[in-house]
Amino acid sequence: MTLFGVLGFTTPWLLLSLIALPILWVILRAVPPAPVRRMFPGVVLLLGLKDDDQVTDRTPWWLLLLRLLAMAAVIIGLSGPILNPEPEQEAAGDAPLLVVMDASWASAYDWRARIEALDGLLAKAGRDARPVGILRLSNPELVQFSSADVLRSRLTGLQPEPWEPGSATASAAIAALPDGDFDTYWFSDSLAREERDGLLRLFETRGTVQVFESPRAVLALGPATLSEGQLHLTLHRLRPGPEVEVSLAGHGKDPAGNPAVLFQSPVTFVQDALSAETKLALPAELRARISRFEITGSRSAGAVTLPDDSLRRREVALIAGREGREGLQLLDPLHYLFKALAPTADLLNGSLDEVLLANPDAIVLADVATLSPGEEEKVLEWLDKGGLLLRFAGPRLAASDVSRTSEDPLMPVRLRAGGRTVGGAMSWGEPKTLAPFAEDSPFAGLAITDEITVNSQVMAQPDPALAERVIAQLSDGTPLVTRKTVGQGQIVLVHVTANAEWSTLPLSGLFVQMLERLAVSSSTAVEDSAALEGTIWQPVSVLDGFGILRDGETLPGVDGMALSSDPLGLELRPGLYQGEERSLARNVISAEPDLQPVVWPDHISVEGLSRPQERPLGGWLLGAAIALLLADVLASLALSGRLIGARAVASLIFLAALPFDVQAQTPDEQIAIDATSEVVFAHVLTGDAKLDELAGAAMRGLSDILYYRTSVEPAKPMAVDLEQDELAFFPFLYWPISPDQPIPSDAAYIKLNSYLRSGGMILFDTRDADISGFGSATPEGRKLQQIAARLDIPPLEPIPEDHVLTRTFYLLQDFPGRFAGREVWVEAAPPDAELVEGMPFRNLNDNVTPVVIGGNDWASAWAVDANGAPLTRMARSFTGERQREIAYRFGVNLVMHVLTGNYKSDQVHVPALLDRLGQ
Amino acid sequence: MTQTVALLRSRAQEEAGRFPALLARAEQLAGNILLGEHGRRRSGMGDDFWQYRPMRPGDSLRWVDWRRSAKGDDQFVREREWQVAQSVQLWVDPGASLRFNSTKDLPTKADRARLIALATAVLLIRGGERVGLTGWDLPPRRGETQVLRLAEMLSQEGDADYSEPEARGIIPNARALFVSDFLSDLAPIEAALTKAADRNVRGVLLQVLDPSEESFPFQGRTIFESVGKSLAHETLKAGELRDRYLQRLSERKDRLEALCRLTGWQFHCHHTDQSAQSALLWLYRALDGGHG
Repeated sequence: MTLFGVLGFTTPWLLLSLIALPILWVILRAVPPAPVRRMFPGVVLLLGLKDDDQVTDRTPWWLLLLRLLAMAAVIIGLSGPILNPEPEQEAAGDAPLLVVMDASWASAYDWRARIEALDGLLAKAGRDARPVGILRLSNPELVQFSSADVLRSRLTGLQPEPWEPGSATASAAIAALPDGDFDTYWFSDSLAREERDGLLRLFETRGTVQVFESPRAVLALGPATLSEGQLHLTLHRLRPGPEVEVSLAGHGKDPAGNPAVLFQSPVTFVQDALSAETKLALPAELRARISRFEITGSRSAGAVTLPDDSLRRREVALIAGREGREGLQLLDPLHYLFKALAPTADLLNGSLDEVLLANPDAIVLADVATLSPGEEEKVLEWLDKGGLLLRFAGPRLAASDVSRTSEDPLMPVRLRAGGRTVGGAMSWGEPKTLAPFAEDSPFAGLAITDEITVNSQVMAQPDPALAERVIAQLSDGTPLVTRKTVGQGQIVLVHVTANAEWSTLPLSGLFVQMLERLAVSSSTAVEDSAALEGTIWQPVSVLDGFGILRDGETLPGVDGMALSSDPLGLELRPGLYQGEERSLARNVISAEPDLQPVVWPDHISVEGLSRPQERPLGGWLLGAAIALLLADVLASLALSGRLIGARAVASLIFLAALPFDVQAQTPDEQIAIDATSEVVFAHVLTGDAKLDELAGAAMRGLSDILYYRTSVEPAKPMAVDLEQDELAFFPFLYWPISPDQPIPSDAAYIKLNSYLRSGGMILFDTRDADISGFGSATPEGRKLQQIAARLDIPPLEPIPEDHVLTRTFYLLQDFPGRFAGREVWVEAAPPDAELVEGMPFRNLNDNVTPVVIGGNDWASAWAVDANGAPLTRMARSFTGERQREIAYRFGVNLVMHVLTGNYKSDQVHVPALLDRLGQ
Repeated sequence: MTQTVALLRSRAQEEAGRFPALLARAEQLAGNILLGEHGRRRSGMGDDFWQYRPMRPGDSLRWVDWRRSAKGDDQFVREREWQVAQSVQLWVDPGASLRFNSTKDLPTKADRARLIALATAVLLIRGGERVGLTGWDLPPRRGETQVLRLAEMLSQEGDADYSEPEARGIIPNARALFVSDFLSDLAPIEAALTKAADRNVRGVLLQVLDPSEESFPFQGRTIFESVGKSLAHETLKAGELRDRYLQRLSERKDRLEALCRLTGWQFHCHHTDQSAQSALLWLYRALDGGHG
């Protein structure tokens, strides 16, 4: 190797060919570019024009220079230049070289620099033909000396471990040492350890020892603790130093489930201080989502700490049968639950389908009677895996047939029809109080006050199994809370409502305590290590040396005692361990770490990372030559006037490389856009082509009438297939019943139920009012019963005279279609609705009735053809047309009811309505 | 012999296939402009109302406009505007130099020149004028069949690179439209215009140029050739010629314009990357605006 200052060449004689460059200059400059032939009519005007400069047909000097530079770069690049070559070691021994690495978490901070230094060392050893062996003290393997070049190719496989070498690994390292003499080069991680002295003495007996130590600061992050609602995090550093600010970050998932940085906070080391502490007041919800804390910018397992259950909260899903009546917050079935659980648990909202995906710890169903079979199956599956289903009774449950004749899989007991009311105006007796809790009840020991009274409840059917399922009862012995276990999970039914309608229980502090006992909201207490004895903990995720989480499911379980006390190592990796009910984190840095810098004896030479690394330049120069030649191509093209084509090609290539991100709209999206950009009514496809056509025509007719008469301007109606189409876009569905239409699938029922719960309305039309009535069942009527059995429909009643449907747009009392027959059924008024003196109407439901059921064949009355002429004939000339008109008015009222809800119940309009009613 | 006939027929079919398309495009272009007869701004024979005037002795009772007269005691005669037909003669350069387009997206100059000329003819014929070609081949006539004849004649192509304007057979006091790129020798053009001016013929020169002829976007060593390959010019640095070429081009335009001013003609330069519509509108104005 020849040296020129900091530059060395491996094959310097190749540089002689640089002499040939001037000859190239002469050859290259003599060649003019080939001409382009162009057709150009304007040539007439060019005739006689002379070129200014005759010399320009030669290659311009800068192009020549470019080419010569490229040639020079090729020549120099091939001659193997090296920047900062390793100077020849004075008296480099030819004994084998043993590279010892601590390879602990503290080395991970500057692992790349260490590997580069090791690479330089191996390169030198390769030139000196010394065999080299590598020994990692954190995970010692038998040392075998081999060629340095072979080892260099394996350097990327060398990784630090997330633990420190201990006494066990030290003895394993000694056992792994080869026989014979060798020189030692020790990559130290700067941490003091007891075993280090013994190893050093051993190495010194075999040969020379040289130590490499990085000057970089070693930072460590202690485990997070929670006290007084604040997170405490402690940072440590190895050596005292000047005032330094580091950034601490918490990683976790954002509410959408994507990985995100949840908080970032600066922490300052005071001058000469070895540790710094920070307190963080994070919202509990945010705290629960943090999956790890780390020191920003530090790639080491020591700079990461994992939180376990002590920082977690339970996830509880709250679901009400029907969304609460607008504005009546205290009557909201979920209000008290929400207040009781919000401080200690993460609450999930959404449909049952959605929250099951989140796998919550508990699901609370407040007065939900019927679940579709699909939902029921999923809930049972979730229960088997240890879910807690807490149900509250209510008017809907009491009115339903759930668990009446046989025990429902999702109910702990059978229920008697109707429930009971005590202590009201129309019933005997006093409101009941609670009986003391039994010893084996989970509520045992909770104090009961007399203030808690129960007015109404659903009653359990007496049953042999009932006694063992009751965990709380009233003073007269009727069950108040019942429970049964399903798989690993359990179902709990509270026989009163979750709001204060039926009892004062939700108003009391006992309610909160009972929820806590049921582990709906429990904060995990830290168990002592004695309780860990004999338990097996499965690693869920473990840290590697760089502090990156890896999947730990394939690792064997760890004994509880070992988990709490053993030092970290190959068998006990730092990470998150899952026990039966909770998880424990084992972090690299303990709460009280003992970090001391190592002190080497004076005669050992300690080297830092300061020396510039050897850097071969050949590749760079050859790359530069290629770049120069490319520039030459462009310049030549530009000079000969052909660059325009090249530019076009380049832009074409660029365009072709651009991803086509034009969003192709699928038909589904188009339908969704059409259905939501305007008010669109829909009818349910029954499979009977003639009936479907009629229903479509009816929707068209109704839309037209609305368009003419009201400010509702519906777009073209659509037909929906329950199995495939999304229902949520439509405010109103018309569902004609034909005797042989198929029963919808489970998935369709889930869609239908969520549609009804979220405020949609379905108008069922059996179209049989001419022949049915007074209890005689028609095929259509039976079909409707089959279909509706699995729908979540509230109690119904024949439309009362003061129902809001009678006055949303027209004042109506009859609701005829083609037949002016049978009654029309809507959601029943609440039982407590009473006529107030001076008011014409009762204050009925605040909501839109989710279903309207009748048999008057409205479709036939509404249907029009493409020209707007009626499709079907009504009875008896003028009377018939009048009936059609009233049918249209019913349609208008219905749509107004769907779109405006209880607006016409509003008392503001009472005087005007009174005036019109002549009262 | 048979072969020649077959060749002629196939070419004729090819040609015939071409000009209905030209005709259709020309008709479509012309359809965008509303027009009427050339009113002479004085009373005379015509269809359009000009004025009412009190009845004078000597007026026939048939001329009285009774509807107007019934409104008062005086009797009025409705006068109509005097309308006459004009003769317009076209010359479209058949030279090879027009069969050029710089990129595939643009039409050739010949294509554009024919289109504009024929559309103008369609417009004029619809407006009641007589249109023909200069020279003896197709004297000005009226009627739709004349459009067909014009389309046929315009579709013929010449072999020479640059051709001279045909100024023979120009009818005195008529109007003329010369369409060309006017890159050929200026002397014949000058002669033709002077000759026309002598006969009190006024008209329009429409110069059709390709955008590349205006911008001269060439670089490097190039041999420029005319379309018929009769002329060639080699340069080593085409970019350096640009300024001088453009200067020559603008000189030529200036001379054409000066010539037009001298003879009472009008000059317009049209580029094939512009819309034919704008040129047609200008032409229509130029031909129409001078009357009265």
